[in-house]
Amino acid sequence: MLSSSPTSFTHPFLSSSSPPLSPISPATRAARISAPLVSATTASCSYTCAEDSPRLHQIPRRLTTANASLYEILEVPHGATSQDIKSAYRRLARICHPDVAGIDRTDSNSSSSSAEEFMKIHAAYCTLSDPEKRSVYDRRMLRRSRPLTVATNSGLGSYVGRNWETDQCW
Amino acid sequence: MAEPAYTVASDSENTNEEKSSSSPSLPEIAVGIDIGTSQCSIAVWNGSQVHILRNTRNQKLIKSFVTFKDEVPAGGVSNQLAHEQEMLTGAAIFNMKRLIGRVDTDPVVHASKNLPFLVQTLDIGVRPFIAALVNNAWRSTTPEEVLAIFLVELRLMAETQLKRPVRNVVLTVPVSFSRFQLTRIERACAMAGLHVLRLMPEPTAIALLYAQQQQMATHDNMGSGNERLAVIFNMGAGYCDVAVTATAGGVSQIKSLAGNPIGGEDILQNTIRHIAPPNVEASSLLRVATQDAIHRLSEQDNVQIEVDLGNGNKISKVLDRLEFEEVNQKAFAECERLVVQCLRDAKVEVGDIDDVIMVGGCSYIPKVRNILKNVCKKDEIFKGVNPLEAAVRGAALEGAVTSGIHDPFGSLDLLTIQATALAVGVRANGNNFIPVIPRNTMVPARKDLFFTTVQDNQKEALIIVYEGEGETVEENHLLGYFKIIGIPAAPKGVPEINVCMDIDASNALRVFAAVLMPGSSSPVVPVIEVRMPTVDDGHGWCAQALNVKYGSALDLITLQRKM
Repeated sequence: MLSSSPTSFTHPFLSSSSPPLSPISPATRAARISAPLVSATTASCSYTCAEDSPRLHQIPRRLTTANASLYEILEVPHGATSQDIKSAYRRLARICHPDVAGIDRTDSNSSSSSAEEFMKIHAAYCTLSDPEKRSVYDRRMLRRSRPLTVATNSGLGSYVGRNWETDQCW
Repeated sequence: MAEPAYTVASDSENTNEEKSSSSPSLPEIAVGIDIGTSQCSIAVWNGSQVHILRNTRNQKLIKSFVTFKDEVPAGGVSNQLAHEQEMLTGAAIFNMKRLIGRVDTDPVVHASKNLPFLVQTLDIGVRPFIAALVNNAWRSTTPEEVLAIFLVELRLMAETQLKRPVRNVVLTVPVSFSRFQLTRIERACAMAGLHVLRLMPEPTAIALLYAQQQQMATHDNMGSGNERLAVIFNMGAGYCDVAVTATAGGVSQIKSLAGNPIGGEDILQNTIRHIAPPNVEASSLLRVATQDAIHRLSEQDNVQIEVDLGNGNKISKVLDRLEFEEVNQKAFAECERLVVQCLRDAKVEVGDIDDVIMVGGCSYIPKVRNILKNVCKKDEIFKGVNPLEAAVRGAALEGAVTSGIHDPFGSLDLLTIQATALAVGVRANGNNFIPVIPRNTMVPARKDLFFTTVQDNQKEALIIVYEGEGETVEENHLLGYFKIIGIPAAPKGVPEINVCMDIDASNALRVFAAVLMPGSSSPVVPVIEVRMPTVDDGHGWCAQALNVKYGSALDLITLQRKM
């Protein structure tokens, strides 16, 4: 199960080697997410309906976020108000937070990837909910044709690229 | 990969029974327990609301103590006390929450030496010797054992009333508890046959209750409603905790936490010292009378205290509120400092605070209420929660939520986004504590830092993990240590040692260490992963022993990167 990507070590050793830490296996909590909430976004719809085969449905979402801008991660338009951003964050939290999404605790990948997913959402929220950080980010986005991504493919750059995003919050 | 999950992982003291997997039948609703320093309560989601269980004397709040009498110790759940003083004969152990997981150099342990049972310290950083007086002999015990005996009684009481086995629990814990102390709580639970699903910092349990109330009031399931900002202040007999939370749509986001082991017990002891004439041993009568006086001072401006200490020693004194506030000035100043710090960490403007929630026994003290009103610039304290029941209600809600219980009316569509109460980091740059995950970081969290060697051709390095807020390692709690080996020979400052820390949603901490060389992007030796804490006792002197043995030979410094 250990994927061996030669270009970045942080990602494979953290995301796939994590043991199932919590012994609880609560019943399907995603089922509780109310209907309007799910239909509000097609991207997360496929994710939350994933009760029977979580791994199958995770892939599309993770692929979209791998190169996504912070706006895409939060599923808000570029002109979103801070209120929009806050509610998007809470809505996604109720889908992706490991307490909710880590339904199938026997599958170590699902619980650790929901943590990964949620950390990205939180990092995006931290940047976009702070007007100053948001304007800096917007300017950087403008300058590049491609949005800033989570991982680049050069050796040292993979750390810099990776840390750049998570370091925004604090 | 699909190895069985540990219930209290890496705790070798665990019983086998504890590790066995639970039956795959219907999810058992976890009960919520608020283990207070002076009183405990237990509650459970009954399918439509939180129900607080009562003991045989119809009490929801059960005194936390265990009496060692004859052969069988008996805890406050089943034990009947004729008088308040009976708890103070030396046969009963109480305040275990103040003692659990602390070493004998800890000021909190020293403050407990005035208690009627034996707390003996050797002041070398080992666990204190604790004993109860049984038939004129000191019978030794430990805080974990006392807590376990008490929890067994609570569990039996709950099982009788719920007519089912009770195994899974959510407990509330003080914000200032170190991860080592949390393992001691888990240990006590394991001894009592209980399996911990979550240890919730107390104010976050109250935040969850607040989120539920708010959601029920607005019927907002979209998370789009107006966010409400609340300051939660919880001060009981043993601890003072503060949290700032932003809530909407059932989602409670903890913005900051702050806590300290300061509580009603300190206020009581200060006041006893003030009242008691010099050279008079603090007696149990005096303790009871003072406690009563403090309670009455919440309603009255002054109280008359009359105690006959025997041997012609009598105390007759009028204590007024101002005097009481002066005597405890330091304690109150500390409360204020915590609130101010918490607000600053949360980066919120005082004017944006919607509610100030106060819970715990000390929240009745007028001075404490005034501090909160002043700091938060509010005229009113939130009235929607019962100060003595809020924590256990929140714990019971979390118990239902983490058990995967669904409520058709949406009462359990709740989520707490937790934050770390204390920073975790490593020793580096000499004797300094370098935080890797700072306090008030959203959980789940993962952060890493790069370090490098301090000697030429240094082949090994020690990773010593601490938790706390102090600048030097001695001010923090030691969580564990391990050695990285196989660093390739290179001048000092060249090898890159990556230390990554990961806290998952159930608050488990793992530390990873990897060695990289410039130009290569994959680790040169296998990555080491360690689940913390690994220390089996809170001995700070493990670190001292390492220092004596290795000096600075295996040290690390933070890597300065040219960006």
